[in-house]
Amino acid sequence: MGRRVLITGVSGYWGTELARRLERSGEFEYIGGLDVRPPGADLERTEFIRADIRNPLISKLIPQTGVDTVVHSDILLAPEPGKSVKQLHDINVIGSLQLLAACEKTSTVRTIVVRGSAAIYGAEPNAPSFFTESMARRFPLRTRFQRDIGELENYFETFSRRFPEVTVTMLRYQPSLGPRIDSPLTRYLRSPAVPVQLGFDPLLQFIHADDAVAALEATLLRPLPGAVNVAGEGSVSLSKLLRMAGKLPLPVLPPLFAPTLRAGRRFGLAEMPPETVPWLRYGLTVDCRRLIEEVGYRPRPTLETVRDFIEKVRSHRVLPGVGGMNGSAEDSERPEPRDEKAETR
Amino acid sequence: MTQAPGQPPRRRFDRGGPLGADPTEGNGNRPAAITQLQFVRNLGRALESGLELPDAVERAALTLPRSARRLADAAAHRLRGENYEDEWGFDEDFVELVYAFFEFMYERWWRVEATGVENVPAHGRAMLVANHAGVLPWDATMMRVAILKQHPLPRYPRFMVLDWAFRLPWVSSFMRRVGGVVASPFNAMRLLEQDHLVMVFPEGVKGAGKPFSERYRLQRLGRGGFVEVALRTSSPIVPVAVVGSEEIYPKIGDSKLLARLIGSPYFPITPTFPALGLLGTVPLPSKWRIEFCPPIDVSGYGPEAAEDRSLVFELTELVRDTIQEKLYENLVKRGSAFI
Repeated sequence: MGRRVLITGVSGYWGTELARRLERSGEFEYIGGLDVRPPGADLERTEFIRADIRNPLISKLIPQTGVDTVVHSDILLAPEPGKSVKQLHDINVIGSLQLLAACEKTSTVRTIVVRGSAAIYGAEPNAPSFFTESMARRFPLRTRFQRDIGELENYFETFSRRFPEVTVTMLRYQPSLGPRIDSPLTRYLRSPAVPVQLGFDPLLQFIHADDAVAALEATLLRPLPGAVNVAGEGSVSLSKLLRMAGKLPLPVLPPLFAPTLRAGRRFGLAEMPPETVPWLRYGLTVDCRRLIEEVGYRPRPTLETVRDFIEKVRSHRVLPGVGGMNGSAEDSERPEPRDEKAETR
Repeated sequence: MTQAPGQPPRRRFDRGGPLGADPTEGNGNRPAAITQLQFVRNLGRALESGLELPDAVERAALTLPRSARRLADAAAHRLRGENYEDEWGFDEDFVELVYAFFEFMYERWWRVEATGVENVPAHGRAMLVANHAGVLPWDATMMRVAILKQHPLPRYPRFMVLDWAFRLPWVSSFMRRVGGVVASPFNAMRLLEQDHLVMVFPEGVKGAGKPFSERYRLQRLGRGGFVEVALRTSSPIVPVAVVGSEEIYPKIGDSKLLARLIGSPYFPITPTFPALGLLGTVPLPSKWRIEFCPPIDVSGYGPEAAEDRSLVFELTELVRDTIQEKLYENLVKRGSAFI
């Protein structure tokens, strides 16, 4: 018996890649994709449903598809320049609420997988070095984005309590790295001189862009109730990362770091969301045993991910443009701000 | 348990330390100053010829004596980002770079005398529990040097550092590189599950911040959290008594106002600090003794025993009494504090 799946945000990098993988796997007899614009790459048998996730209309559309699995990938993990915090909040929080309302009406739904963020743990100096899934909310949610993610997790938790027959998996992603990913983080790492905070050298953790999508697929095949951290094992210090990449670190006094990032935009540096400041001071690493042992997917270790990213970016260096993503689907068409999919915290 | 294999590939330490204190080694009797000058000159030339910094360092080091060349190679390695770091950010090359300094502190500055080092298990997990004093974790560093120098099978211990240190610039990254982690039971558990040697200082802030007049009077060992962790992971507990660390920063006062200003748990005032500024952070050259006691095996109780309050208190008291007794014993053996 084939399963029926719906992917929200199918036109983003993650959504498209996942749809492509699922088309190939043959496990799913029906793949529906929800987004406001058609996917850039051609997908063969994904049925595209044009709808805005913030619109209550989806409560009418989704039940008609008769899906048993919903992948919520229409979550923006980073504020983009030119997009207000309010828009981000709308898509992440209001969108999730509408989706859950639609799932309530769809009696066939058994599995929901959410592409969330590890930012919910918070980068704190007194944090345990490796957050396990049960350690969320040990620290106050300090930024708007963290609060949004916290709220979103709340909604899904409440939903799974109300509908115990539905398995809700909350994937908590660490930032992903890949040559085709355009996020504030990748732009930051691509800038010629990288501002760092004087005297701080955080331990960071990443997930390979391919593994990030593969982990999503693996979770679909073996859904688990609750949260699962998604990250490459191990960690890398920022200083080591920059030296590996041959980048010039630009030490800035910590209090001046945020203003520098803001000012640096004029000189081609990346705009960074506010949670990057503590993140690049104290770092954030998570425990990934649940993903490996229970979901059964082992992503590339962080160090290997970084090495791969640096190599790929180096070989692409001939191509122009600071944030140039070398003709990825994301870059080719950006009609409305609503469509930009960024892939990091 | 399934995480990366516990022990990093261990590099053997020469007993002489990475700098090779032996001046007769290599191209021998040439005065050190000339060799160093030549190194700097070569470095400049190499850079002029268009080499990148890491390569230039490697090139210039060719004329140095062998021991110093190793150091330069390690530096070049670092500059390329090829240094080995484990998931905790422990950086073996970095430790080797600073080891000579620690060794100097161990041998010349504090003239540490360590006994019972063989009580530290040569492999597998173990928890070293020690008294804590001095504002900076010098005691942890010296215990580490003792193990590296005198243990038949040296290994790198990790140590728990008060989280406040991780708010400080430079201190935080230094601590991390030499094997410090945020003092948290979760970290201790994970390290022990990876079969590391973990040093804990359950006295915590109360120990580090106690006034000079209360030196060597062991404070309450927290709530016995370290015993719970040891029980849960079936790790043997090795009590350690460190004598000497409590005189290096004789705290005669405490400024609540300054502490609140910089957000620290306390602000020590010693005869030299903050009067002499940074110079005041130079620790006094007291004489040290470190005694490692025989390990207490708790594996017989089983992991569930961690919930047993009375057992936890009992074991905590046992450890506390052992350390306190050894502290007094070694104080007597040491005699005068500074000479």
